Amino acid sequence: MNNEGTWRYTFLTTLYSLMAIFIIAQLVRIQTNPEQVAHFLEQSKIFDGDWRPVKPARGLLYDRWGKLLAGNTTVYEVGVELAQVRNPHSIALTLNVILGLDYAEVLEAVSQEVSPKAVYVVLADYVSQEKISRLEKYRTELENTTSNKRGEEPPSLRGLVYVPHLQRSYPEKQLASNVLGFVNREGLGYYGIEAKFDDLIAGNVQDMWIPRDPNLVNEMPDITSGASIVLTIDRAIQAEIEAILDQAVDFNGAQSGTILVADPQSGEILAMATTPRLDLNEYWRYGEVFKDSTPFNRAVSQAYEPGSVYKVLTMAAALDSGAVTPDTEFIDVGVIEVGGIYIYNWNSAAWGPQDMQGCLQHSLNVCLAWVATQLGTKDFYDYMRAFGIGHLTGVDLAGEVTGRLKTPGDTDWYEADLGTNSFGQGVAVTPLQMVMAVSAIANEGKLVAPRIVRSIIDKGNQFDTEKRLIGIPIKPETARTLSEMLARSLEEEASDALVEGYRLAGKTGTAEIPTPYGYSLSATNASFVGWGPLDDPRFLVYVWLEKPTSSPWGSVVAAPVFHDIVERLVVLMDIPPDNVRREILASH
Amino acid sequence: MERVRNLTQAYSQTPWRKQLKFVVLFLLCVVFIALIAGIYLDVTARAATIGREILYMRSEIAELELTNASLTTELAVLTSAKEMKTRALDLGFVSVEKGEIMYVLVPGYVPPQQPHLAPPPKPTKVIAANLPADYRQSLIDWFREQVVPTISRAVEVSP
Repeated sequence: MNNEGTWRYTFLTTLYSLMAIFIIAQLVRIQTNPEQVAHFLEQSKIFDGDWRPVKPARGLLYDRWGKLLAGNTTVYEVGVELAQVRNPHSIALTLNVILGLDYAEVLEAVSQEVSPKAVYVVLADYVSQEKISRLEKYRTELENTTSNKRGEEPPSLRGLVYVPHLQRSYPEKQLASNVLGFVNREGLGYYGIEAKFDDLIAGNVQDMWIPRDPNLVNEMPDITSGASIVLTIDRAIQAEIEAILDQAVDFNGAQSGTILVADPQSGEILAMATTPRLDLNEYWRYGEVFKDSTPFNRAVSQAYEPGSVYKVLTMAAALDSGAVTPDTEFIDVGVIEVGGIYIYNWNSAAWGPQDMQGCLQHSLNVCLAWVATQLGTKDFYDYMRAFGIGHLTGVDLAGEVTGRLKTPGDTDWYEADLGTNSFGQGVAVTPLQMVMAVSAIANEGKLVAPRIVRSIIDKGNQFDTEKRLIGIPIKPETARTLSEMLARSLEEEASDALVEGYRLAGKTGTAEIPTPYGYSLSATNASFVGWGPLDDPRFLVYVWLEKPTSSPWGSVVAAPVFHDIVERLVVLMDIPPDNVRREILASH
Repeated sequence: MERVRNLTQAYSQTPWRKQLKFVVLFLLCVVFIALIAGIYLDVTARAATIGREILYMRSEIAELELTNASLTTELAVLTSAKEMKTRALDLGFVSVEKGEIMYVLVPGYVPPQQPHLAPPPKPTKVIAANLPADYRQSLIDWFREQVVPTISRAVEVSP
């Protein structure tokens, strides 16, 4: 080794030694300076892992027997990892053919250069499993056919990724859609149960720390899915009721229809059907289906003047207060003056001497207006309030309205309102309010809150809801007497509502429709409310057909619908004919 | 005897013997460090592998949950009211009318009850933080927690 080489070695040794000393000195300096240590520890945390928002699975909705009404299904987000892309044209063309995406847009998105701000690009979301399978199959075929080719860039879907996530799905499509509501792609619930319990069903989105240190992997928490809800709705009854309703609306040329079936003793709603209905899996068609501010669920969101079905409440109040008895005689002269206006019967005729059952049976406006005057203004409105008229029922559905009961003291209340209110005009109620109020008559005078939620399942526990007694507006004897009067009315009238083998109580209603220029002369609201079996009510049915064109009368339009419903209900609810039931009870 | 003592002294003072002592000591240190490094590497590698396996299993669980949700909904679609009615009609069944039913009292018959849909209780979950330190400490953690304080105390005690 000559001298020339020696100085080079010496120089390099010195240089590397100095560098090593510098590095060690720097290490010591950083390690011994608490501020620097804290700073670098803070910096290092950025690379320890990521905070990722984790959305829990949305809770499920079931009918009363556990049949799934709203579930979740897997869909995919389709995106590209730009760094992995080999052939943007292949990706754009494939997504154009299979997913129907715009070729140019996809090509532009996929062709962009990778940068700190552009690493991954979302191309489509909510893609079905079936389409992903087609994509995957095509990708495999491409890989198999092009793997041996060399030279120019072969067709490739490399870089394309599918990220699965859940989407709301409604297996029954339109069934009970007005009750369920829907969930949009942002995961927000609209209408019905989905809106009312959105917070509960959606669960809590959690920001989860995903550590990169595999030793910390056990610290990842479980994400609890949202609460599930069991409804009081019976899927089989709901399906039958919807079919009957659609047929009735179609047959009678009605503008819309609403049917409610409830258990008057427990307040549970067994079916709630209205028109129109929406296939909830295609909720984006909402605007097409619900035109001109049509309510999503007329049963709770549309108040209307119910007409003569309301006479049941007037008579219940009068009987309970003792203002009249079933035998009280009224001479109907065809007209009565209340508060300065003249009230006539539906056929403008005078019906002569009538007892209270006759008044109900022939649905005499004049008689009921007289009954209301006998009861007195204060008592009449006290009873109506006690029946829940003018108040929310508190049912667990979004969008419930109160209706309107004008009472003395309101600026727009006149004495004449007492007369018109007595037969269900000048008062606006929702079908559900009527169901709740009339249920009190079927239920020995006990007013029970309507229920649509049977149980809530949250964090592994099932919480059952309880029957909620709101009040006792009338005495049990009054309820029994009125039920008997209404049953006899139907029987003596040979109503279309009667069902052979079963004793039923009920009342028809034909209501004029208010317009900005007075009451319409060409359209009515036809209703029917009834329940049975009379001695042990298991169901209460409310039918409302809006503006039927086949006939304006509730007795012609709505009563047969009630008949059809009861014929199906007794089968679906296993209710034997009255005589068979009595035999069974006697032998037991 | 004197000669033997001289030879022993000469042997013990030979330079190559001192070097050998130093080399052996150095090699012992190297072996010890290599042993510790080997054990540390092995334990860390195993922990990392198991950690990755857990991550993989978690992602598998997530996938299975998604599949499960989809299958539940698919089953509900296949047994939906409309589908079941269509299938029943195709199979020749007819809807029963009220007059066609014969009611029989069946002693002991229990009508359908409200379904219990809450999931069964989950098995007790072992939380990593509750595990004994031996199962979650790395070698460095152990050294920092056990050895360093001992050395510090020893240094403090000796003047």
